[in-house]
Amino acid sequence: MRKEITFTLNNEEVTVEVEPKWTLLYLLREVLGLTGTKEGCGYGECGACTVIIEGKAVNSCIYPVLEAEGKNITTIEGLSKNGELHVLQKAFIEKGAVQCGFCTPGMIMSAKALLDEKPNPTEDDIKEAIEGNLCRCTGYVMIIDAIKSVAAGR
Amino acid sequence: MILPKFDYKKARTIEEALELYNKHDGNAFYLAGGTDLVPLIKLRLLQPKVIIDLKGIDGLKDIKKINNSLVVGPNITLFELKQNPFIKDYFPCLFESLEATSCKTLQMRGTIGGNILQNTRCLQYNKSLEWRTARGFCLKMGGKVCNVVPNSKSCFSNYCGDNAPSLMTIDAKAKLVSAKGERTVRLEKLFSEDGRSPFTIKPGEILKEIIIPLKKTKGAYEKLTVRGSIDYPLVGVAVTVKKDAAVVAVTGIGPSPHLYEIKEINEKSINEVADWAYEDARPVLNAVLTPLYRKKMVPVLIKRAFKRIGAGGGR
Ligand SMILES: Cc1cc2nc3c(=O)[nH]c(=O)nc-3n(C[C@H](O)[C@H](O)[C@H](O)COP(=O)(O)OP(=O)(O)OC[C@H]3O[C@@H](n4cnc5c(N)ncnc54)[C@H](O)[C@@H]3O)c2cc1C
Ligand code: SF4
Ligand code: FES
Ligand code: FES
Repeated sequence: MRKEITFTLNNEEVTVEVEPKWTLLYLLREVLGLTGTKEGCGYGECGACTVIIEGKAVNSCIYPVLEAEGKNITTIEGLSKNGELHVLQKAFIEKGAVQCGFCTPGMIMSAKALLDEKPNPTEDDIKEAIEGNLCRCTGYVMIIDAIKSVAAGR
Repeated sequence: MILPKFDYKKARTIEEALELYNKHDGNAFYLAGGTDLVPLIKLRLLQPKVIIDLKGIDGLKDIKKINNSLVVGPNITLFELKQNPFIKDYFPCLFESLEATSCKTLQMRGTIGGNILQNTRCLQYNKSLEWRTARGFCLKMGGKVCNVVPNSKSCFSNYCGDNAPSLMTIDAKAKLVSAKGERTVRLEKLFSEDGRSPFTIKPGEILKEIIIPLKKTKGAYEKLTVRGSIDYPLVGVAVTVKKDAAVVAVTGIGPSPHLYEIKEINEKSINEVADWAYEDARPVLNAVLTPLYRKKMVPVLIKRAFKRIGAGGGR
């Protein structure tokens, strides 16, 4: 019982056939091959699967795929332009905010949603924005530094 | 983890949602933000034929001031509700519990209606089908006994909603609608006190409005967790003070929040309620902290909340 949906993915319109039981994460990773978005827990607890939908950071692992109809969705693959990394991606590398890297795509998407809405966030805003993203490696300090460095326009 | 097979329907009106529910012989669940429902379906704890998305129904997304009440649509997200100026100004207890709920990402997706009606939780229940099959199904899954309290015929799963207790302390009511019409009940009446089926809401009924009398209050919400974010309450205490009186609600232990009233606030009456709530609290070994610790924290959090409000209470 497949259904067709159309939505904007990383600035391109896509039309695909999906099953109602799929999550958005399943569509992205297993069908469209966009494996930048990670599956950590699969239950909304870790944030590794975070993508931006209509400007908001969302856990794609608990997002029923049919809700994507007509939405504007950005994944980590949508950030770099012509092979050049996005400023947030560069900052994460420069500030040592990436260790194993598993949480990084989700962290960056949560940070991007925040900066798009509030270009000059406070440290508390940053902590609030990434409170749903778990990192088992860095201890978060470098991640907050990286986001701050972009926020300050440095 | 893949979801089991189900169909997804988006309702545009309440009537359409009720009709869809009936059409599927009740083998359906309403979907708001899905942050409670989807994990339960993934774990095969619920297996609906269809999920009926209520987010397309315009009337369920408003916050309105009508006469002397604030009327909140159930599909308002926790994040939107938290930002409504009335909430911070009039109901600090609710503001604090909203702040304390999960994390920003989940607050932007989870709704207040879904938050109130979230299922109860237990370390033996919120587990995969394989895990539960190996352990043997408990009462809440259709088995014969509780797996936490041997031989017990009651379910001790915990209601872990942060915001229903706050709403109870500010006299909130719930308006429910079904094919038979509408009914309005005090929020505490929504709880059945039976962990197997924690709500008195009838199959197919839709929560249409949450109605809160608009009176300025003082209040605080205290929450015991292991981590600073994401965690459900291991104990939660909502306190609202109105002039000399107060209402206290305790959540996170057992299938429904417990409610207490203080007619005249003073050191003695606060201690009495703290002792009473301590006696009432019967946690069992089904959350990540020991039952005794959780029990002991009940009076501590009650007194702490009063102290923060500036109404006595000690440490
Ligand atoms: C990692 C994680 C951490 C969490 N932490 C917390 C926490 O700290 N505190 C807390 O309180 N919650 C927490 N939650 C639970 C959940 O996120 C919230 O309760 C959320 O507000 C649920 O809202 P929802 O819109 O997503 O509900 P849904 O999942 O869409 O719905 C929940 C239930 O309500 C029913 N329902 C929804 N709307 C209506 C309606 N209008 N009429 C009738 N029935 C309806 C649904 O059928 C379903 O049974 C957490 C969840 C996760 C995944
Ligand atoms: S308290 Fe007992 S019956 Fe209830 S969910 Fe846990 S194990 Fe099952
Ligand atoms: S994979 Fe989605 S929150 Fe963990
Ligand atoms: S870098 Fe390894 S989890 Fe964050």
